[in-house]
Amino acid sequence: MLEIINLKTQFPSPDGLVNAVDSADLQIEDNERLGLIGETGCGKTVLGMSIIRLLPPSTRIHGQIIYKGRDLLNLKEEEMRLLRGKEISMILQNPTTSLNPVLKIGDQIAEVIQLHKDCNRKEAKTKAVEILAAAMIPEAPKRADQYPHELSGGMKERVMIVMGLASQPSFVIADEPTKGLDSGTKAEIIRLIRDMTSGRSMLMITHDLAAAGEICDRIAVMYAGELLEMASAKTILHDPQHPYTQGFINSLPSRGLLPISGSSPSLIDPPHGCRFHPRCPWAMDICRREHPQIIKLEKGHFSRCFLCA
Amino acid sequence: MASLILLAIYIGIAAFGPCLAPYASSEIAGSPLEEPGRLHLLGTNDLGQDIFSNLLCGARATLVLGFLGALLSVLTALTFGTISAYYGGRTDEIISRIVDIMMTLPGFPLLIVLVVFLPSSIFIMAAIMGLLGGLQGIRIIRSQVLSISRAEYIYGTRALGASDHYIMSRHILPGILPLAAVTFINAAQRFMLMGVGLGFLGLGDPNVVDWGQMISRAYSNGGFALGLWWWLLPPGLAVVLLSMTLALIGYGLEEEIEPRLKNINNSKWFTNGYARNN
Amino acid sequence: MRIEYLAWRIFYSLLAFVISVTLSFVLLHAMPGDYLHVILPHLAEKNPLATELFREQFGLDKSLFEQYVLYVLNVLQGNWGYSIQYGLPVTEVILEKLSWTAVILLPATLLSIFIGVLIGSYSGWTSGSLGDSFIFKIMIFLGAVPSYWWAIFLILVLGFYLDLFPLGGYMSITALDEGMKLHDVLYHAALPIVALTLTTVPGVYYLMRNSMLMIVGQDYILAARSKGLSEIEILLRHALKNAMLPMITLFAMELAHVIMGSIFIETIFSWPGMGFLTFEALRVRDLPLLQGIFLMDTLIIILANIAADFSYPLIDPRAKVGEIG
Repeated sequence: MLEIINLKTQFPSPDGLVNAVDSADLQIEDNERLGLIGETGCGKTVLGMSIIRLLPPSTRIHGQIIYKGRDLLNLKEEEMRLLRGKEISMILQNPTTSLNPVLKIGDQIAEVIQLHKDCNRKEAKTKAVEILAAAMIPEAPKRADQYPHELSGGMKERVMIVMGLASQPSFVIADEPTKGLDSGTKAEIIRLIRDMTSGRSMLMITHDLAAAGEICDRIAVMYAGELLEMASAKTILHDPQHPYTQGFINSLPSRGLLPISGSSPSLIDPPHGCRFHPRCPWAMDICRREHPQIIKLEKGHFSRCFLCA
Repeated sequence: MASLILLAIYIGIAAFGPCLAPYASSEIAGSPLEEPGRLHLLGTNDLGQDIFSNLLCGARATLVLGFLGALLSVLTALTFGTISAYYGGRTDEIISRIVDIMMTLPGFPLLIVLVVFLPSSIFIMAAIMGLLGGLQGIRIIRSQVLSISRAEYIYGTRALGASDHYIMSRHILPGILPLAAVTFINAAQRFMLMGVGLGFLGLGDPNVVDWGQMISRAYSNGGFALGLWWWLLPPGLAVVLLSMTLALIGYGLEEEIEPRLKNINNSKWFTNGYARNN
Repeated sequence: MRIEYLAWRIFYSLLAFVISVTLSFVLLHAMPGDYLHVILPHLAEKNPLATELFREQFGLDKSLFEQYVLYVLNVLQGNWGYSIQYGLPVTEVILEKLSWTAVILLPATLLSIFIGVLIGSYSGWTSGSLGDSFIFKIMIFLGAVPSYWWAIFLILVLGFYLDLFPLGGYMSITALDEGMKLHDVLYHAALPIVALTLTTVPGVYYLMRNSMLMIVGQDYILAARSKGLSEIEILLRHALKNAMLPMITLFAMELAHVIMGSIFIETIFSWPGMGFLTFEALRVRDLPLLQGIFLMDTLIIILANIAADFSYPLIDPRAKVGEIG
């Protein structure tokens, strides 16, 4: 369905070139849901934005993103626009700022349907209410007539998800859909995403490993612009091989909240050798000198670490 | 750059205008309403005064008014804006409220009323303009000082036991000076336009020639009906050119101090984001 | 939050009005000689009845404090004194002129908001483009030109040399026989409206451009792009409505600048509105009229501000009057 080959996304900043995504390779199969996890600022959102091509004009993107046989990076802006929302859609993070404050919820959803489903405004609006109701939003007709500020955070997140899936796209990018929700709401949102995306391909960007574990088939771990480990969700959660993934899991509340020492490195001038070595408890000499390649451990399990070699 | 040279020329004229002028400003130098010619570069008005000479002499009133007023207004804004932001609490509250209330009053009519009732002199006018104009600046300076003093280095220096005076002069002042310079230029431009306007309304200093009076005279004594361009246009053109010069300098200064802001905008990832790059 | 805010705004407005009333009282009394006694003889020449009313209303023989109280009461009741020049109640003179000012101010304001919004949103939306920097630079120049220059220039070029428009006034001489005609008035109003529009467009433009610049970077614009909407659809459906919000206040303020915006233009075009009235009042030092104009202007600005505050919720659903937020 989607294959990312050697993707590099860079953008200029006052302090130098930011290497937000560095040489990423990734495949997502039909009907597969892939979780992309990592700390804030590791480049995972930029990777998602690179696929749907919604980065500022000054951004430089190299590599290939093959979607249904076409390289998205070679499409003209107009061709890309016709894919957006229809084939590839995005559920943005921060529902509070991503919903237009002066437009009614129903209209914002109907807009996508009208644009891609060949129907008039009224039909689109009816359809919008239907899918709101299908997403277990109580009093859907009333909600559709409300403005974003009248909804709770969880409700807004539902609206975002409904909006992203309203046109029944074949590929969805969901950016931090469980961020900032209390645990009850989070469980509901996770169920909603799982139900609504079954039978579709999805890239779910999150720093919430537990949520990714519940929704996704496979999980990729990103650190400082690089993919460090990739395996089935079960393997990542129970048998991680990369020290960073292990540290990440140990920092989960259910595993004792042990944070990884040190802070995430700069994307402008990442550490030499292995990018994780300054924070790695098992760092060796070679980790400081040489940059590890990603290696295949077993079927479907990849890791970028000299320890695994 | 060109605008700086132009401004220098204006200042030169304001300083030496009366010496450069071929005739004294009130001198009856020819017959009334002469067309521009060799003797009178820009012709004469209804009294036979040389318009070119009046133009040169009139520069002084406008420039003095503008710069003096702007200076006063920046000083007012700096003083109260800094005090308000730095001390906060009740002082801040009182100053901010006074500004709020004063901002509700219509500025220009208030200026007119005050100028009418007070003796007419450039200096009094400049003082009124400076004070009224300064009120608006207080908010701008206040918020700038607030953003600077929130910066950590101030906390740092305060923790080291630096005095208020030291912090203000070493850390806050340098931070707001560029902004103050822009405010100064913009205020000068506004006040010069206002000054000429007041002259036009007959509120200028009667003892000094100014461009506003010249326009007013041409307007009320038939300049339009007769289509005497050399009587109407030169003072107006002089003002327009001066105003544009200052506007350009102000804009240039802003460009100079704004890049920080611009960088912030650029580095926000998804601003302005249609990716045309392949 | 919002109710409290509105209450504060109204409180400030009242305070500002009281200050301006006090100010005009103080200034009227601080004049050399006793202002009221200086004015009365003038007034007697024109309208003997007014003199009587005047004396009674303002209690000229009483103490200064009593006079102040009386003055405030009179102002509140709409008795703003008598114009020396016209011999008529100040309010009557002002109200008549206000309608004339509206004839040019209303179209000019609408026109400048229309133009300013159009080019301002284009400029902000495509910020950094050639078109944007071109318009931006033109606006710097336009903004530096004072209103009186436009008036002089337009009259001289279009009125005198090309003879396309009248040199001033509000109707042709023939109107004395035939009565006032709408198209004749509009014909006279055209140039003042153009001049007024030219002076107000840059302000609207800057506001709109800034407002649009803020919105271009918002997440909901990104969301609209991710839906596959075209740039123009995003601009019209998602950006414009948000960017227009500050326009309400601007519209109110523009309308409130009855004097500021039009004093020079009205005077140079001899348009019989508030601006020209101010000019005349200044020329003959008709102080009661002048203080009346000042009070009226304060009042209009205050009312316009309040109107803007209250009409905001009609456009911005977040700001329902009385709702928290």
